[in-house]
Amino acid sequence: MQRWHEAARRAALAATVALATTAWAEMHGGDVTHERIREADKRAGDWLTYHGTYKGWHYSGIDQINSKNIDKLRVAWTHAMPRSVRGLQSMPLAANGVLYYSGSYNQVFALDGASGEVIWYYRQKLNEDLVSKQTHSPYNRGIALGLGHVYMGTLDGKLVAIDMKTGRLVWETKLIDSERLTVGFTGAPLFVKDKVIIGSQGGEWPYRGPIFGVDARTGQEVWKFYTVGGNDGTQSDARNTWGNDTWLTGGGGGWMAGGYDAETDTVWWGTGNPAPLYDWSGADWMTAGARPGTNLYTTSVIGLDPESGELKAYHQELPHDAWDYDSAVGEFLMLERRGKKYIVHPNKSGFVFVYDRKGKVQNVWRLVKNINFVQDIKTDGTLVGRRDLTEGEHKNLCPFIAGGISWNAGSYNPRTGLYYKVGNEWCMDLTVKRTVPILEPMAQLNIGADFSLVNPQGEKAHGRVAAHDPLTGAKKWEVRFPEPPLASLLSTAGNLVFVPDARGILRALDASSGRELWKHNNGQGHNGGIISYLGKDKKQYVAVATGWGGLAGDDYANFFGPPFNTFPKDSGVLVVFALP
Amino acid sequence: MRSPFCYPPLGQHVKPLTLAAVLAVLGAAPGTARAADPGQPGGAKPPRDPAQIFATTCGWCHHQGGRQAGKGPQLMGTRLSDGEIVQRIRKGKQGFMPGYEGAFSEEELAGLVRYIRGLRPR
Repeated sequence: MQRWHEAARRAALAATVALATTAWAEMHGGDVTHERIREADKRAGDWLTYHGTYKGWHYSGIDQINSKNIDKLRVAWTHAMPRSVRGLQSMPLAANGVLYYSGSYNQVFALDGASGEVIWYYRQKLNEDLVSKQTHSPYNRGIALGLGHVYMGTLDGKLVAIDMKTGRLVWETKLIDSERLTVGFTGAPLFVKDKVIIGSQGGEWPYRGPIFGVDARTGQEVWKFYTVGGNDGTQSDARNTWGNDTWLTGGGGGWMAGGYDAETDTVWWGTGNPAPLYDWSGADWMTAGARPGTNLYTTSVIGLDPESGELKAYHQELPHDAWDYDSAVGEFLMLERRGKKYIVHPNKSGFVFVYDRKGKVQNVWRLVKNINFVQDIKTDGTLVGRRDLTEGEHKNLCPFIAGGISWNAGSYNPRTGLYYKVGNEWCMDLTVKRTVPILEPMAQLNIGADFSLVNPQGEKAHGRVAAHDPLTGAKKWEVRFPEPPLASLLSTAGNLVFVPDARGILRALDASSGRELWKHNNGQGHNGGIISYLGKDKKQYVAVATGWGGLAGDDYANFFGPPFNTFPKDSGVLVVFALP
Repeated sequence: MRSPFCYPPLGQHVKPLTLAAVLAVLGAAPGTARAADPGQPGGAKPPRDPAQIFATTCGWCHHQGGRQAGKGPQLMGTRLSDGEIVQRIRKGKQGFMPGYEGAFSEEELAGLVRYIRGLRPR
C-alpha cells in the first residue's frame, strides 16, 4: 500500500511539474524545451521538431479537418521564399501559433500561422563562392527549435542559433571545414535536452561524416562522432573495418535529422553510404576493392548518448554497402505493441528494419517490389545472395540510385495503427569504374560509376503510397502513382493521409482505406515537408512545401517528360490550407 | 610541361592511398605539408584521367558517361564550343550544375573536353 502511495505521489508530482512546465512556457512566450517536446503528444497544436515529436510519427493529433469535411478545405494563405533555387525542401515547424520554416541559401521566416504575416526574416551570410561549387546545395531541409532559439545548419559548415522572437543571430559555430571538404549542412538539427545534434552531408564525399553535439545555449562543440571508423582510440574505434586506411576518405555523412528515444535516453541516427558509392571488388569485398572491409559505421543506424556522443549501440543495415542504399533516412518510429517497445527505420534499399530499443533487429520487411541487389534480407537482418559488382557493365540493378525509399518521411497513425510510406519502383544500368578520391584543392564527389535510370523489367517505373503494419509489413492498401512522390507524408487524427505528389497535386486520402477524398493542384512539384498545427485563432492548418529541383526529382524531366520538364527550379512557395 | 592531350592510361592512378598522403591532402596531420596542387603552376602531379574524373564526379548527373541525359543534359554531340564547355565546367549553372573553378587543372579541363568530344554510342 505504501508503495502505491509513493507511486501516486510521484505521479502527482510529475503532473504538477508538467503543468508548471506548460504554464512557464506560456509565460515565457512558449519556449520550447526538451520536456515540452517530450510531452508534445499532449499538445497537438504544435509541430516542434523535424519528425513532429520525438516519437517520429509525422502525425498530427488535431481532427478539426477530417474525412467528413475535407471537401471544404481551401488555401488560407501562401508565402513565397525568396531565391528558392531547387525548390522548397524543408519541413516547417510550429509553436504557439507561429510557423517557422527555412529555404535555400539558409533563409528562415517566422510567420503568423493563421495569417501568414511575416514576424521576422533571417538570411545567413554565406560563402557564396563555396556554395556555387556544391552539388547537393543550396537547399535546406529543416530547422530545430529549443531554448528560445531556432537552430540551423548552414551550407558552409556552421551551426547557427537565431532568436526565436526577433530573428537575430545569437551565436554561430563553424563545425566543418567546408572550404576544403566542399560539403556543409543541409539537414535539420535535432534538439535534445541542452544539445543540438546535427550530421554533416557527405555519403559520397571523401571524409568521415561526423555527427556533432553542440551546447544549445553557447554554441560550443561538445562532442563529435565519426560515422566512418568511429572515434579514434575509443571503444567505437572501427578503423580496422576499412582496408588500406580508406577510413580517411570513407564518406558516411548522417545528413538527415535522426530520432530520440526518451525512455533509454538514446539519440538514433542513420548514416550515409561509404565512398565511392560503387565498389569494383565483387565478392572479395572484405579484402579487395576500393574500401576493403565492412566499413563501419556507414549505412548503419547508431545509438548515441546525447550528453557525450558515445556509441551505445549500432546495427549496420548493409555491411560494405556497394550500391549506395544507405541508412541516412532520418525516420525512427518509436512504437509499442503488447508491452514490447520497438524502433522502425526504413532503409534506402526499400527494406524496412524493425529493432528493439537497444538496436537488435526484430524483423525486416520489403516495402518495395523491385529489389535485386540482394535476393533477400532475413528477418534477423542477414543479407542473402548479395549482388556485388565488379568493374564493367551491369544491367537492371534495382532499385535506382535515388532509392526504393527516399529521404522524405512517411507517417504513422496511432488511430489506425498503420504506417504510410512512399515506395519507389525503378532500376538502373551502370558501368562500374575504378576511381580515386579527388581531395584537392577541394574534395569532390566520389561515385565510381556511370549509370542511367531504367524501367524495371516488365513494367514502367512508378511509385506508390501504401499503408502497412509497421512491425510485420502486412499491407492494408496502396495507391499507385505514375511517378514516385518525393515529399513527406502527413497523417492526422481526422482519419486523413496527405500525399503531396510529384506533379504538384496535394491529395487527402482516407487513412483507413486509401480512398481519395480531396485534391488541390499547387502548380509545381512537391519535394519537402508537410505539417499540421493550430494557429493563434485555434484553427487547424495544413502547411506544405512546394517547389521542384531536388536531386531525385532532377531525373524526372528527362525520364518522365511533362510536366516535369516545365517546372521552374527556382520557385519555392509554402501553401497553407484551412477550413473556411 | 606535359601535353594537354597526353593522358596516362586508365588505371594508372589507381593505387591504394597511403595514410601519409591522405593526411597530407586533408591537412589532418599537424605539421604535414600539403601535397602539390595540380591546378597550380608547377604542380608536381600529372593530370587525372578524364574518364576517371567523369566517373568520379560528373556521372552523377550526366548519365551513361555523358552519352545520355540524366539530371543534366546529354553531352555526346553537344553543340557547345570547347571554350563554352570549359566555361560551363568552371562556372556551372545556378540551380543546375555546380562550378568546378579551381577543382581541375587546365590540362584536366582540356582532357574533359576531349573526353566529351570522343563520346560515341555504346
